[in-house]
Amino acid sequence: MVSGKHIAEIYPVLHLWHWEISLYLFLGGLAGGILFFAAYFFIIGKEKEMSTTVKWATFIAPLALMIGLSSLLYDLHHKLYFWRLFTTVRFTSPMSWGAWTLLIIFPLSIIWVASFMKDMFPNWNWKWKYLNQFESFVIKYRLPFAWILMFLSIILAVYTGILLSAFNARPLWNVSILGPLFLVSGFSTGLATSMWLSKNDAERRILSRIDIFFILTELFLIIHLFMGFMAGTAVKLEAFRLFMGGSFTISFWIFVVLLGLIFPVTLEILELNGYHVPKWVPPLLILFGGLMFRFVMVDAGQITRFLY
Amino acid sequence: METLPKQKKNKTKYINPYLGGVLMGIVMLISIFISGRELGISGAIRDSVVATANVISPTAAKKSSYYGKFLKNGHHPMDNWLDYEVLGAILGGLLSGILFKRVRKPFVERGPNVSRGRRLTAALIGGILFGFGTRLGRGCTSGAALSGASTFAFGGVLVMFILFGAAFAVAYFFRKLWI
Repeated sequence: MVSGKHIAEIYPVLHLWHWEISLYLFLGGLAGGILFFAAYFFIIGKEKEMSTTVKWATFIAPLALMIGLSSLLYDLHHKLYFWRLFTTVRFTSPMSWGAWTLLIIFPLSIIWVASFMKDMFPNWNWKWKYLNQFESFVIKYRLPFAWILMFLSIILAVYTGILLSAFNARPLWNVSILGPLFLVSGFSTGLATSMWLSKNDAERRILSRIDIFFILTELFLIIHLFMGFMAGTAVKLEAFRLFMGGSFTISFWIFVVLLGLIFPVTLEILELNGYHVPKWVPPLLILFGGLMFRFVMVDAGQITRFLY
Repeated sequence: METLPKQKKNKTKYINPYLGGVLMGIVMLISIFISGRELGISGAIRDSVVATANVISPTAAKKSSYYGKFLKNGHHPMDNWLDYEVLGAILGGLLSGILFKRVRKPFVERGPNVSRGRRLTAALIGGILFGFGTRLGRGCTSGAALSGASTFAFGGVLVMFILFGAAFAVAYFFRKLWI
C-alpha cells in the first residue's frame, strides 16, 4: 500500500485547504437551498404567491455557483486538468457526484432564471429566434425541469458535507452526520437569501417558518455530532476538544451557534409573533453563521488526525 | 408626577430608571460572580483599534509604545473577555429593543431643532474626545465609574462624580447641540 505520509502538506497535519474550499462549500449549499425552494414552490403551484423565491432569488444561484466554482478552480494546482473529473463516473466518490451534478445543475439554474426573464422584465427581448424557441420549450416543460432541479439541489447541498465526511483520515470530518448537517445548513442559508430579497410579508412568513424548522434541525444535528464525538474513540475526543476549550471554541460556539443559529432563530420566532424585527438582521446572521460554519469545519478538520 | 405633553405622545416604553439601575448593579454582580471580571466598554474599542492597526501595519503597531503593549508575545488583541461582553451587549440591546417595540428603521436620534449633519458631527467630535479621555483615565463610564465605584475604589467614585458633574456644569453651553 502506498502511504501519503511523505507529502509535506498532508502529514502530520493537513493544510492544503484554505478559504477557497470553505467559500465554495458555503456557496454550493446556498445555491442548492435557493434552487430547491424555487423548484419546490413552483411544483406546488405557488409561483405567484412566492414570486421572490421562485424567480428573483434564483438570480443568486448561478452567480453563487460561478463564484464558488471559480474559487475551486483557483485552488487547483493543475488548473487545466479539471476536465479529467468528467472522464469517469464513480458512484463511490463524492467528488465525482459533485462534478457531474454541477455539470447539470449549473446550466439548469441559468436556464431557470432565463425562462423567467420576461416575467420579471416585461420589456425583455431575446433578439434571436432560436433563443425564443428554446424559451418556449423550457416554459412548456418547466414542471419536469423543476423536479430535476429539486432532486439535483438536494444532491448538491448534501454533497458539500459528504465531500468532507468521506475523508476517513480526518476524525472531525469522518462522521456520517456531516452530510445532513450541511444539507440543512445550506437550505437554511438559501431560505435566508430568499427571505432577505422578498418584499412580500406573507411570503417572508412562510419562508421564516420553514427556516425555523431547518435551524432547529441544524442545532439538533450539531448536538448529535458532538454527542457522537463524546462517545467516540480517543481521536474523536481529541477532535471534540478543539471545540471545547480548544482553539475553535469561540469561533464555533459564539459565531456559528449563538450568532448564526440561536440568535436569528429567536428573532424569527419573535417576528412571527408580531414583534418588529429589522428584516435584514436574521438573514444576515444566518448567512454569516453558515459561512463561518464552513470555515470552522474545514480549518478544524484539517488539524484533527489519528494518533499515529 | 406631571408628564410633559411631548413625553405623553412618545409611546416607546422604557424601564423604570430606578429599577434599571438596580438591574445594572445585579448584572455587575453576576459578571463578577461568573467571570471574575467587571464590565467595561472602552477596552473593547481599544482592542478593535489595536487589532485594526495590527492588520494594516503590523510592524508599526508593534513598535508603538501603546499598541505594542497589547501585541506582546503573539497575543491577539481581540482575545479579551471585554470584546465578547460588548458583542453580547449589542445583541442584548437589540433584543430588548425588539421586545419593547423600540426598534425602527435606521434613523438619527436627535433633538427637534438640530439638523442631522450637526447632530452627527457633534456626536463624532464628542466621541473622539470621550475616547481620548477614557484612555487617559483608564476606563469609561462602565469600566472606570460603574465597575470602579462598585468596588469602592476611590478613583472609580471620583470618575463618577467628575463625569456627571462636569456634564452637568457644561450642559448649558452645549445645549444648542440638542434642543
